[in-house]
Amino acid sequence: MSVRMKALAFAFGLMSSVMVAPMAMAAGGEIVIASVQGPPSLDAHVTNAQVARNITLHIYETLYARNENAEPVPDLASGVSVSDDGLTYTFKLREGVKFHNGKEMTSEDVVASIERYRKIGVSPALVAAIDTVSAVSPYEVAIKLKQKQSVFLDNISSPRAPIAIYPAEEAAKGANEVQYIGTGPFKFVEYQPDSHVTLEKYAEYVPNPAYDKRDGLAGKKEVLIDRVVFRFIPEAGARTAALESGAVQIVETVDGPTAERLRGDSKYVVHDVLPFAFQVIKLNHNQAPTDDVNFRKAVQAALDMEEVMEISYAGINQVDGGWVFPTSPFASDAGLDQYNVADFDKAKAFLDQSNYKGEPVTFITDNLRPNVDIATVFQARLEAIGVKVDIVVADWPTTTKVGFSKTGWNFWTHGFGIEPFEGPGTVMSAFVNGNAQIVPDPEIDRIAGEFNATLDEAQKKDLFKQFQLRMLDNVVAIKTGNYGLFQVTNDKVENFVPFRIPRMWGVTLAQ
Amino acid sequence: MRDYLLRRFISVVPVLFLVSLMSFAVIWIIPGDPTAAFLGPSSTAEDAQRLREQLGLDQPPLVQMAEWYGRVLTGDLGQSILLRTPVLSAILERLPLTLMLAAMALVVAIGLGVAAGMLAAARRGTWADQTVMTFALLGLSVPDFWFGLLLIVVFSVQLGWLPSGGYVPLFEDPVGWVRSMALPTITLAVVQIGFIARMTRSAMLDVISQDFMRTAESKGLSGLYILMRHGLPNAMMPILTVTGIIAGALLGSAVVVEQVFALPGVGRLIIGGILSRDYPLIQGGLLFLTVIYLLINLVVDLLYAAIDPRVRLE
Repeated sequence: MSVRMKALAFAFGLMSSVMVAPMAMAAGGEIVIASVQGPPSLDAHVTNAQVARNITLHIYETLYARNENAEPVPDLASGVSVSDDGLTYTFKLREGVKFHNGKEMTSEDVVASIERYRKIGVSPALVAAIDTVSAVSPYEVAIKLKQKQSVFLDNISSPRAPIAIYPAEEAAKGANEVQYIGTGPFKFVEYQPDSHVTLEKYAEYVPNPAYDKRDGLAGKKEVLIDRVVFRFIPEAGARTAALESGAVQIVETVDGPTAERLRGDSKYVVHDVLPFAFQVIKLNHNQAPTDDVNFRKAVQAALDMEEVMEISYAGINQVDGGWVFPTSPFASDAGLDQYNVADFDKAKAFLDQSNYKGEPVTFITDNLRPNVDIATVFQARLEAIGVKVDIVVADWPTTTKVGFSKTGWNFWTHGFGIEPFEGPGTVMSAFVNGNAQIVPDPEIDRIAGEFNATLDEAQKKDLFKQFQLRMLDNVVAIKTGNYGLFQVTNDKVENFVPFRIPRMWGVTLAQ
Repeated sequence: MRDYLLRRFISVVPVLFLVSLMSFAVIWIIPGDPTAAFLGPSSTAEDAQRLREQLGLDQPPLVQMAEWYGRVLTGDLGQSILLRTPVLSAILERLPLTLMLAAMALVVAIGLGVAAGMLAAARRGTWADQTVMTFALLGLSVPDFWFGLLLIVVFSVQLGWLPSGGYVPLFEDPVGWVRSMALPTITLAVVQIGFIARMTRSAMLDVISQDFMRTAESKGLSGLYILMRHGLPNAMMPILTVTGIIAGALLGSAVVVEQVFALPGVGRLIIGGILSRDYPLIQGGLLFLTVIYLLINLVVDLLYAAIDPRVRLE
């Protein structure tokens, strides 16, 4: 833009703000987001739930946060220095950062928050490598590790169950007993269970001066609206109706047919968030016949991934077998010749070499529609090679109970949402110690151990290639593809940029 | 009368005990526990165990059961695992909404149902009778969640007259409250309107053929007067009989309606409790609803005796 154009634009902007043109952008207003369900907790340390994250990441912040490419970048910290032995991380804190109770954040609060997470955090693996946490000065915190950990910054910046920084006096409290006070751009107003959560702009918030624009969960967080309300509407039809009647401006997720219908209407913008997650079929290596690699290979060879993904996530999927998202620097084609083979003859050949005796196998899934669809497609494909599949559908708590057990299931499908976003280290850790597949795979454990211990990027990439190859060679689990979700905004919402959570900073509302 | 009430109250105890025992059994039969709500899918079994210990769920079922009964006897329904508040206060907070919703639906259902049923009986065999009965059958057959969504599409999306869901507290904004409760009330009432209309019609037809109605007619009283003064009170008896059953059905259907219209009532509280395996909440919620249901039935029986002199409670 030339200087003259800029001047014109400025003058026009000034005029329109004075004249109150019908579509003038004015700061302020209230945005209502329709969510599927309420959060199990707003104490960020104690829940891994996506629905909680969507809200808590507006209230709290972490030392480091993930940017658009999921890399850890400074957020509450201004930077970090790592000792030569790779064991001590000294974080410099930003000065003048205020909690919602008006108190300035210092190293005391950071130490107390990290110590609290070590005690009661729901993802203890994130802080497992920490030996000690101490305040060096009011604005410096030193974290000493037990051993080198290449993914330490990834962990400290993880949005999974964020290591949010609370005021020290809140961090002294037990799980779910804190007042919801953070440093984030929005402050907590009220939580009506089964109804809504209201947040309002925190007037004293100072966006991180190191950034000039939005960037993932970090960057410049500038709030241009007054309030945001997350309304919990469990019924999908009612969520869409709330959008169409103007009661809500944003819907967190809609199904494919609804997205298509709304796309044809100029009053709405449908945002494709793709890739959002992996779709994975876990295999139980502790129970016949999935304890037999040839049987597992037969299953892998039989599946047609285009069919699987298009039936479960029509119009919002990627047929991609890599164990990181395709945009990741760790993406490679190692082992992918065994992905999406869709060849019954090959599958039968593997089956003939296996110990399978014609017994029915058990496929467990929760009642989420795409997961049930996948089970159904899977059942039909395996029937074609002579394997009988019993599908057991239950609600989420029941399914997890069975899926964490050593027996009672052969296959279990669900999404891996936060893991691929967190990065290769987290994806691997899902299979370390036989977490997902019940029986430890020494090769996976070795690779993950080495990956964790090296700080050399090239070596990490090579190790991840080995991991991906092992996943497909040994069919540790089957990744069917990536899926996305449709976020919908109405035409009043401006400057909305879709991301993993519906970020409410940087967004404006046309009056 | 006093003896009767005493007997009724004593008979409530075994019912409540059985209900709580059954809900305990069901809870321990369905797999899964509250940790699933907090943990993501790729958490480990160790994470779950750690959380279980934090939540005090690592005790054997019988111990937890004994503790629960001990507390209930002192009027304490325990703490909700998910809400971190006492179960009793969580229920009492939501109860007004659910009771008002059910009560308003009951009033609407009786008002419209009785009027329609009387019309059909008075105009027996005419097109008016046919029309009323057709609609009554439709009302009876329509699934409530579907009907609720239909109302949302028509009155919120197309016409923009009423909100599509959500709740406005009565004392904050009375007009907003009426608007937020209108569609849920109609949705909840629709099945019962059909039911009551059909019952009223057949009860009324019975009454019309009685001798005293002919006597009233031969005195030269007007048709409408006879229907209202002599017909209706007698026809109301069978309707009153089923009011207790209807109230129970309304409390049950309220769960679905609260879900469709995103209302924070007791039904949704318990459903949420079941989905997240919040044991104390499920237990306390079911016990509480049982008490309410028993109370409604008691009131109906007392009313019955008050209205019909032939009924003796002793």
